[in-house]
Amino acid sequence: MSEQAEIRILLVDDEASLREPLAEYLSRQGFSVEQAADAAKARSLLLDGKPDLVLLDIMMPGEDGLSLCRHLIEAKQLPVIFLSAKGEATDRIVGLEIGADDYVVKPFEPRELVARIRSVLRRASKQAVPVEADAQYEFEGWKLDPLKRRLTDPEGTIIPISSAEFRLLCAFLDHPRQVLDRDRLLDMVQGREAHLFDRAVDNQVSRLRRKIEEDSRDPKLIQTVWGGGYRLAADVKRCAADEV
Amino acid sequence: MRRLLPKSLLGQMLLAVALALLVAQTLSGFLRFRAEETRRENGLINALAFQLISDPRVDYRTGETDRDNRRQERRRLRIERALQSPVHDGEAPDAERLERLREVLTEQGAQIEQLIVLTRPVAEDDYIMRGLDRIRNEPRFNNRDGWDPQGDMLLAGLKREGQDQWLVARVPLPSVDPGRYVGIVVQTLLIYIILVGGLALLLRRITRPLAALRNRMETFAATRETTGQLEPSGPDDTRRLIVVHNAMEARIAALLGEKDVMLGAIGHDLKTPLAALRVRIESVEDDSERAKMAATIEDITNSLDDILSLARVGRPSDPLERTELSALVASVVEEYEDMGENVELADTQRIALRLRSTWLRRALRNLIGNALRYGEKAVVSVEKTGGEAVIRIEDNGPGIAQDQIADMLEPFTRGEASRNRETGGAGLGLTLARAIAEQHGGTLTLANRLSASGDVIGLVAQIRLPLD
Repeated sequence: MSEQAEIRILLVDDEASLREPLAEYLSRQGFSVEQAADAAKARSLLLDGKPDLVLLDIMMPGEDGLSLCRHLIEAKQLPVIFLSAKGEATDRIVGLEIGADDYVVKPFEPRELVARIRSVLRRASKQAVPVEADAQYEFEGWKLDPLKRRLTDPEGTIIPISSAEFRLLCAFLDHPRQVLDRDRLLDMVQGREAHLFDRAVDNQVSRLRRKIEEDSRDPKLIQTVWGGGYRLAADVKRCAADEV
Repeated sequence: MRRLLPKSLLGQMLLAVALALLVAQTLSGFLRFRAEETRRENGLINALAFQLISDPRVDYRTGETDRDNRRQERRRLRIERALQSPVHDGEAPDAERLERLREVLTEQGAQIEQLIVLTRPVAEDDYIMRGLDRIRNEPRFNNRDGWDPQGDMLLAGLKREGQDQWLVARVPLPSVDPGRYVGIVVQTLLIYIILVGGLALLLRRITRPLAALRNRMETFAATRETTGQLEPSGPDDTRRLIVVHNAMEARIAALLGEKDVMLGAIGHDLKTPLAALRVRIESVEDDSERAKMAATIEDITNSLDDILSLARVGRPSDPLERTELSALVASVVEEYEDMGENVELADTQRIALRLRSTWLRRALRNLIGNALRYGEKAVVSVEKTGGEAVIRIEDNGPGIAQDQIADMLEPFTRGEASRNRETGGAGLGLTLARAIAEQHGGTLTLANRLSASGDVIGLVAQIRLPLD
């Protein structure tokens, strides 16, 4: 895969024991990797040239990862993936709210990290003008906060959904009232988890219906279109997320 | 009866004091009533004795109006001299008063031949009735003694030795005036109310800071935040109790804070080398060897997560949020389905409750993981019964010996005595699941599933959560 040779990654982590083998692994995967042990080194490397993506540790001596991340996103418009030992939901949300593209908890599976890097780069290249990340979807009284992946029903009750269901719902919400056939849905829904790639779209749709339809056997929101696929039968608007 | 007794310090002390006071006040009221009665009785006897002994020569019927005698006349108009016994037919002597009068007269040196004491309605006594007529007609007499034609009177007749005349003395019996007794009762009640009321105020002053302290302890137990500590108030003992409590709160909060910092550091310091190790094993050529290493690292990571979670479970940083429970359960079941595990979602009901979804997911994963590990198949259901939402996770494994069920919820206990590493986990899964259920105000119970013939056909774990 020749085009991958050009992908430049900046890896910022104070732990040499992790940084060095990870840089080596990513190089073997065909990335060009630069290393920085702290934020100051990272900033000086950024002067020489702009990487395609930054892998960033949060807990570092000196300037921490959150602060550096703000700089990277605001000043350089760089995609950032956090690598952190803090795995609690609140930590993830803080990281994502700052504007990072993804949040990976240590220890991680290296292949999964590579999949996430590719996924972030794919999204970055597709969305030259990104939709505001904090804009939330609203349809028929339901709300979906894409940052927190939080779906709430018209009464304000949170309806937990899996990441596959989240992506499926996003696909519908981005294309309201349009017929989406199975192939197109599969294309949009394909996530980073390898096991989801071959899940039938129908199965995901029926799971989603169980959670959001009044009666899942008589769906009103996500309708089946004969011979074609599915369609979201609702208008969608996007607005600033509620403060939580 | 026991249920009616007050449980609080204030109530119990007040009840005890009120009862004691009631007994004391009743006793004192009764004694005062008795003393009053005795005094009145003595007054009557003495009045009779005085009339009989002083033997006034004046009789209003004679109409004597000497200046010297005028005052006596008014006062002693009721002594009568009679040749016959003053007793009417059918009248019985008042033996008790007779004895008392005899004592008094004997003390005064009277030579008694015959003595009679009896009570008689005023209306039946001709002597007094005639006297009352005169009083009515002649303004110079007055009814100073308060004769009442409707009332009763006490009559005493004395015949001295060697005399043939009877001296007859009369005093009106005061009618029983209920007002006097009401006075005693009201006075008693008033004292009672003032004492008990004053005591209640005093006790409240003591118990109010105690009640505030109890509320504070409940808050602290729930939040473990030192903000909003009590100002010392109340009596000195309570004051000192509050000061000491505040110091203890601060100490506990500091210890918990240290624990969090320590656990955070352990988490960071162990997870980073684990991450490094996980990256390094990617260079292992042998696929099956690498998979085993990866599985080991995952086991360590899971145990570390369990330990860190267990340490944090009583102090969650995320808020309770109104969430649909069956969708949450479904999304956890779907994770397992997607991994090709044999998990089935049975009947569910939509139940919205306030919960912490990341924690509850973790409890469900632990329980479903256990069911799959020991039972190969898990069936999960959600239903609303009574005031609770019940999540049931059933497996078809060997169950647990009845006497070990309680132990299973303790840390580091696993189903097999061998503690076989192959089954994975540090044995914290159930402990953590129980702690998470308790964090939500609920419970976790384990029970064997029995077939119709009584054989164990699996285990059922139930998380019960209170509805809002």
